[in-house]
Amino acid sequence: MMSQGVGINAMDRLRLDSPDRRTAWKEEKERKLAKLKQLRAERENRRRKQLEKEAQEAAVRASSVPRDDQDLDKMLSSLGVAPVSEVLSSMSSMSSEPGGDHSGSPDKSLEANSTASPRTPSKKQPQLSVVSVQATNIPPRETVTYAKGVQTSGSGDGHVLTYDDPQAEEEDNSLTMLDTPPIYGGGHNRHLPPGILPTGMPTVQDVKPALATEAEKKVEEEKPQPPRELSDEEKQMLMMTEEFHSFFDRSTRILERALAEDANIFVDYSHDYEEDGEANESGGIKLSLNRWFYDERWSRNRCITCMDWSPQYPELLVASYNNNEDSPHDPDGVALVWNTKFKKDTPEYIFHCQSPVMSATFARFHPNLIIGGTYSGQIVLWDNRSQKRTPVQRSPLSASAHTHPVYCMKVVGTQNAHNLISVSTDGKMCSWSLDMLSQPQESMELQHKQSRAVAVTCMAFPHGDVNNFIVGSEEGAVFTACRHGSKAGIVDAYEGHQGPVTGISTHSTPGPIDFSHLFLTSSIDWTVKLWSVKETKPLYSFEDNGDYVYEVAWSPIHPALFTTVDGSGRIDLWNLNQDTEVPTASTVVEGSPALNRVSWTNSGQQITVGDDMGKIWIYDVGEQLALPRADDWARLVHTMGELKNNQADDDQSTRHYDSSFSSLTSLSSSPLR
Amino acid sequence: MSAEVEETLKRIQSHKGVVGVIVVNAEGIPIKSTLDNPTTIQYTGLISGLTDKARSVVRDLDPTNDLTFLRVRSKKHEIMIAPDKEYMLIVVQNTNE
Repeated sequence: MMSQGVGINAMDRLRLDSPDRRTAWKEEKERKLAKLKQLRAERENRRRKQLEKEAQEAAVRASSVPRDDQDLDKMLSSLGVAPVSEVLSSMSSMSSEPGGDHSGSPDKSLEANSTASPRTPSKKQPQLSVVSVQATNIPPRETVTYAKGVQTSGSGDGHVLTYDDPQAEEEDNSLTMLDTPPIYGGGHNRHLPPGILPTGMPTVQDVKPALATEAEKKVEEEKPQPPRELSDEEKQMLMMTEEFHSFFDRSTRILERALAEDANIFVDYSHDYEEDGEANESGGIKLSLNRWFYDERWSRNRCITCMDWSPQYPELLVASYNNNEDSPHDPDGVALVWNTKFKKDTPEYIFHCQSPVMSATFARFHPNLIIGGTYSGQIVLWDNRSQKRTPVQRSPLSASAHTHPVYCMKVVGTQNAHNLISVSTDGKMCSWSLDMLSQPQESMELQHKQSRAVAVTCMAFPHGDVNNFIVGSEEGAVFTACRHGSKAGIVDAYEGHQGPVTGISTHSTPGPIDFSHLFLTSSIDWTVKLWSVKETKPLYSFEDNGDYVYEVAWSPIHPALFTTVDGSGRIDLWNLNQDTEVPTASTVVEGSPALNRVSWTNSGQQITVGDDMGKIWIYDVGEQLALPRADDWARLVHTMGELKNNQADDDQSTRHYDSSFSSLTSLSSSPLR
Repeated sequence: MSAEVEETLKRIQSHKGVVGVIVVNAEGIPIKSTLDNPTTIQYTGLISGLTDKARSVVRDLDPTNDLTFLRVRSKKHEIMIAPDKEYMLIVVQNTNE
């Protein structure tokens, strides 16, 4: 510091030149000597070694080059550097101090100074003051290296991303390079390739500073690109592809359900209280409309010919439709699969074929297959895994198969040994294997008595039976038949109806007492009759209807409950244990269409009804009515007994009427619709 | 076949409250839309990004999982997105509460 101060002043002294200042200069000299002493005393401990070193060097230099001082001084002063002599002398003065030569050398040095610079007085004397030197000890910076070598992709240089930088934290982006590299390498590392250690310290520097920003830039550049438009042809081409269709089919199905399901999650129950009253009322109603299924395009103006439920997915219902007389260009036969679980009111699957479908059933052991029997006698098979709406398999139109409309079909058997049984109106019964519809496995003519073929309109298998079955015919007679065995063919005839039999339902309600010998038949003669397999005469006849009764169905859970539908739009629910004369519940479908088909859901709490305008109505049955009580089975036995007694009484009184009736029945032979 | 596509789109479009239907491909280019072009582009750009982010969330939480459906409900609309490997179906519906 002393030397620095001297250095600056030397410049000034060189410029000014007046001998008058020598006295002042001598005073200064003494002052400086005192100060020197002070400084020395303070710094002796700290810098002695350093100064000694430098002093030694300086002394060497000073001894070697004393004469060139002035030249040197001039040169150096022109550069603005302190004259060497001054520096050296001040050093030497300090170093030689303990030696006691203090007086001599400072004088020398000061004299040298004075010769070089006697002009100082005009200039302000340097304010030499004790300045405490701040010895700052900067500890090595802790660099936390966070190696992201595994996770980074594409950069390839194994960059180490240092984590601690406040700048990086501010930007909240761990990928940005530090701008101030850690203390180890100093500021020069950025120019070195990565991996090369400048000072031998163990750090690896990330040299690519703007990786993240580059990536961001790339993303930004890409973003404006997508609105590169596809031309119309390209779009059309895309829309024709298989993947597009399968994607579209899946997504629209899900979306339609999502759209229809407008469950209002924001509903506030504390708000409107009147609405609760209405909900309670519907519990008491015996038969109430739940919903209907109708498709404008596919089911309009078509009569529903058959309905069946899926065994695997109880909410799926298949309905087959007749042809639409108003639109001859549409396919004649349609089968739609409806989903009762969701509020979506469009069919799950739409299938069609060229001939009106008279019956449809789910293949019991193949969840994806739907079988249809058509008016032309063909059996068609649809698969909902394929994207096609047309049948994937078809039976041939040959004499070995059916040549008449197939009204009845059923899959019987077990998982490993099952067959499709189909019967057409020419009395032919065929048994098919679902793998091969090109020809039936076996076929049989159902003939009654004098080799007269039976025109079968409906068929039913008793519960648990795969060999024996019951068929109803156009002539009004009901027959039991057998598939295999010695008695193959028609076994018994049950006469009773005066018109074609439209529907048969066998009792299949599981319970403590077995009623599987009972079956119901409905007919065009406005009546429904209850039979037992053991007797050829009906046990009872229900005559409440005023129109053709098109179908009858036992409840799957209640032993004494069944439903009928007729041509005037009426749905009747009969409970044998309550009343056998009149239906327990009855309702008329809106618009009074003729109701062609009825079926219970597996739960036994809903009825589905199909009409001749293409609509399927779903009605809820009130719980008191639908659910059986434990004593219903016993009561049914009692009821049957009563019916028998009444029948015996009636027989005696009506025997003489029979003869007149039979003459009428022979004339009537109303063709089935 | 495209007639069925048209028919289904028309059916969805005519559903109660539906504002628009857009079919987008994997690159974010709209294939079919019932909205006008600027709106379609806007929806497509924004929703593609959102779907990608949602998908990455699902997959990051569990790599064996994947996004199947996305529903964004706001005060005025509900956007339903059915993403797929190659395409995406977007339906915008009014929430009429």
